[in-house]
Amino acid sequence: MNNISFGQYYPADSLIHSLDARFKVICAFLYIVCSFLCKNILSFAALLASAVILVAVSGIPMRILLRALRPIIFILLFTVVINMFWTTGETLLFSWWKIRVYYEGIMNALFIAVRIVVLIIGTSIFMTYTTTPIALTDALESLLSPLKVVKAPVHEFAMMITIALRFIPTLTEETNRIMAAQKARGADFTSGSVFKRARALIPVLVPLFVSAFRRADELATAMECRCYHGGEGRTRLNVPHCRPRDFVMLFVIIAFGAGLILINIYGVGYTMK
Amino acid sequence: MAKIRLEKINYVYSPGTPFETRALRDVDLEIKEGIVTGIIGHTGSGKSTMVMLLNGLEKPTSGRVLLDGVDIWEKPKEISKVRFRVGLVMQYPEYQLFEETVAKDIAFGPRNMGLSEEEIAARVREAAGIVGLAPELLEKSPFELSGGEKRRAAIAGIIAMKPEVLVLDEPAAGLDPAGRERILATIRKYREQTGGTVIIVSHSMEDMAEICDEIVVMLEGSIFMSGSTAEVFSKAGELRRIGLDVPEITGLMLKLRDMGVEIDTIPYTVSDAVPKLMKLLK
Ligand SMILES: Nc1ncnc2c1ncn2[C@@H]1O[C@H](COP(=O)(O)OP(=O)(O)OP(=O)(O)O)[C@@H](O)[C@H]1O
Ligand SMILES: [Mg+2]
Repeated sequence: MNNISFGQYYPADSLIHSLDARFKVICAFLYIVCSFLCKNILSFAALLASAVILVAVSGIPMRILLRALRPIIFILLFTVVINMFWTTGETLLFSWWKIRVYYEGIMNALFIAVRIVVLIIGTSIFMTYTTTPIALTDALESLLSPLKVVKAPVHEFAMMITIALRFIPTLTEETNRIMAAQKARGADFTSGSVFKRARALIPVLVPLFVSAFRRADELATAMECRCYHGGEGRTRLNVPHCRPRDFVMLFVIIAFGAGLILINIYGVGYTMK
Repeated sequence: MAKIRLEKINYVYSPGTPFETRALRDVDLEIKEGIVTGIIGHTGSGKSTMVMLLNGLEKPTSGRVLLDGVDIWEKPKEISKVRFRVGLVMQYPEYQLFEETVAKDIAFGPRNMGLSEEEIAARVREAAGIVGLAPELLEKSPFELSGGEKRRAAIAGIIAMKPEVLVLDEPAAGLDPAGRERILATIRKYREQTGGTVIIVSHSMEDMAEICDEIVVMLEGSIFMSGSTAEVFSKAGELRRIGLDVPEITGLMLKLRDMGVEIDTIPYTVSDAVPKLMKLLK
């Protein structure tokens, strides 16, 4: 349980959770492409609707998803404001001093906001929320494996990331434990000047580094004892399988993109420049 | 008089997430002053969680922790004072050593208390004496010590704060018999010199029988049973039913009694059992 109880992975039993991680990475990529294909009101409405369906299918509570949006709120507001006030168009809605707001500006700001929100929600649903970091790394290794032909160390790279991810919860737990132990001896991490607080971290960092090096050493020995020699000829314990549902999902997204292109050709409603 | 009282304590890890775990449920407990209380229970029964509540490292989700009758969370800003009064030695405390020398590491707690340099030096010497660390080890780096010595250095770091209550979470885990014996000797010496209250968590029934006056048995986050060491170990059947056991010597004596040998009171340490066995052999 502790291996996955960090980051954003949200365990649930949904269709999206059950998809092959490699397909999810491709789907996430295609979904990003789709969001950039949107040009007019109808296609943005379709994009928004698809995001709502995706959220419903993924079984992830809205409250958790909104958390993913929190870090980008500033960027979101910034883009909206820029688009609203700096787009020039034909229909002037409002002007005061040097500020002119056009109908086109409002629509552009709205479109961009929808695009950013859907982008974040879509990629989080396909990747971070429904796929464990380990599965994601495996998927990337598998997708990048053609690069092995040009001698890129894809396996080693994936192994490094897997190990690093594996140790995040361990080291977090260790940090908490050491901090608790030092607090039990009266250490204070929350008050005093910045300098004093930085100094207060020494009793945590020293034992943490000592134990991280010890663990790294032990892990290296354990891997060598089991004859680990890199990726060549190594087979997997969990061989990824693609099932019909993976292909269906891929097809649905491609069809969605094609639909968006058609909508653009017919150009319904206001069209973004 | 109860030194520490737990009232209706509940503790939940990561509430409101899929990883929510209820570690303690409605725990009511009294720790008497001036005696050694042992806490036993299965792995995951909430022992470590409970001891971290005693010195305010964790705050109970609901319920109160009373130290000398005063709620320790009454003034949250002064919780570090509680930590000096209830000294907690965590599980595997050797990983908390960080200073250049053992002496400096033992001095970390007393220094945080704001004591004078002479007082600190005196306390370091005294604590090192109680845990049995030779003076020449004090000037070494803590990373050069053996596992057992590191463990004792870490315990000395807490004893040097002269807490009113000393809490040890599995102080002998992973040590060889000699190392284990040294830890037990430390606790005895600490009791002789300070007369303080001691709480000790352990998986070894033998250690508990040897050192504890009272025992608390935990099961899945609740108190299953508590009482004097003799009372608790006399309920071998109940202990075995929840997957714990009595000391081996007690098990042996119980078996002898079942076989029809006449034994008046069942002993739970080897030294108590020897005279009874000798009598039987005559
Ligand atoms: N940091 C944590 N986050 C989430 N759950 C935790 C955490 N620490 C402990 N738990 C859970 O709380 C419960 C009680 O754990 P605790 O460590 O108190 O048990 P214990 O009796 O000390 O066990 P042991 O004998 O193995 O030390 C367990 O179910 C454990 O999984
Ligand atoms: Mg424990």
